[in-house]
Amino acid sequence: MRIACPYCGERSLDEYLYSGDATVRRPDFASPTAQADFVKYVYERKNSPGQHRELWYHAAGCHAWLVVTRDVSTHIITAVEPAKDVALGTASSMKDTA
Amino acid sequence: MADSTLQPTSAFSHLEPTSLPGIAIEPRENFTMASFAAGKGRLEALAAAIREAYGVELPRRPQRVVGNGIVFVWLGPDQWLAIAERTNNRDLEVELKQRVAGLASVVDQSDGRVIVRVSGPLAREVLAKGVPIDLHADTFGVNAVAITHASHIGVIMWQVDAAPTFELAMFRSYADSFAHWLLEAVASTVPAAA
Repeated sequence: MRIACPYCGERSLDEYLYSGDATVRRPDFASPTAQADFVKYVYERKNSPGQHRELWYHAAGCHAWLVVTRDVSTHIITAVEPAKDVALGTASSMKDTA
Repeated sequence: MADSTLQPTSAFSHLEPTSLPGIAIEPRENFTMASFAAGKGRLEALAAAIREAYGVELPRRPQRVVGNGIVFVWLGPDQWLAIAERTNNRDLEVELKQRVAGLASVVDQSDGRVIVRVSGPLAREVLAKGVPIDLHADTFGVNAVAITHASHIGVIMWQVDAAPTFELAMFRSYADSFAHWLLEAVASTVPAAA
């Protein structure tokens, strides 16, 4: 599998680290329901086939955090965006749906 | 107590400047190097400060530019490496901290990383034995920069001229491992080296 870093270009998998689901958000630890929220956050994952949004880190390259949209059944990657842009809501995939 | 002067020692214990048909290898010594990263929301102000001080535009993609004897190498989003000869005790950490005060974090890298220069018509073929990216001149040309690995050693590499001349920077403690790989790669490419 190769991932096209938006900064460096297409690079082999060995330059990247997979860092989990990009759609979950860390719960508020001060919330009264924090314990249940964290159990859900840490353990309860659907692991469904099809498209996932994943966090990848370009560890042996430019050190950018990326959000990769990948079909886990086919490994077909349809989008790679800087995680910073996704977090700030300025990624191109977000503009399309805005 | 007698006065003593500290003399820098090469990190390469076995790598001498080498010239063979088609390829030359030379460890670069006596340079000053600093990395700097734009502060939050300070990117444009930093670019303007560098433009004013050195007359160059900081590259926003994997490229290098040269201004006032300093090579600026793209080092990732909003980060750069600055390299210059250490003539007249030039110290880029001190110099840049003055030029970009409040705009960027500047960290000295002079003793942290080493640089090897590899040049000649066979340079691409030799480097391609360990670097997992496309080094063809159409893809990786003069001033191109890549952050990747060579023989599993993390490197920052760039092309200086069309000879072609490449420079590769890596952490100092990897210098001997890298040199060992490089000489093996040369030996299996250049008949005269075997």
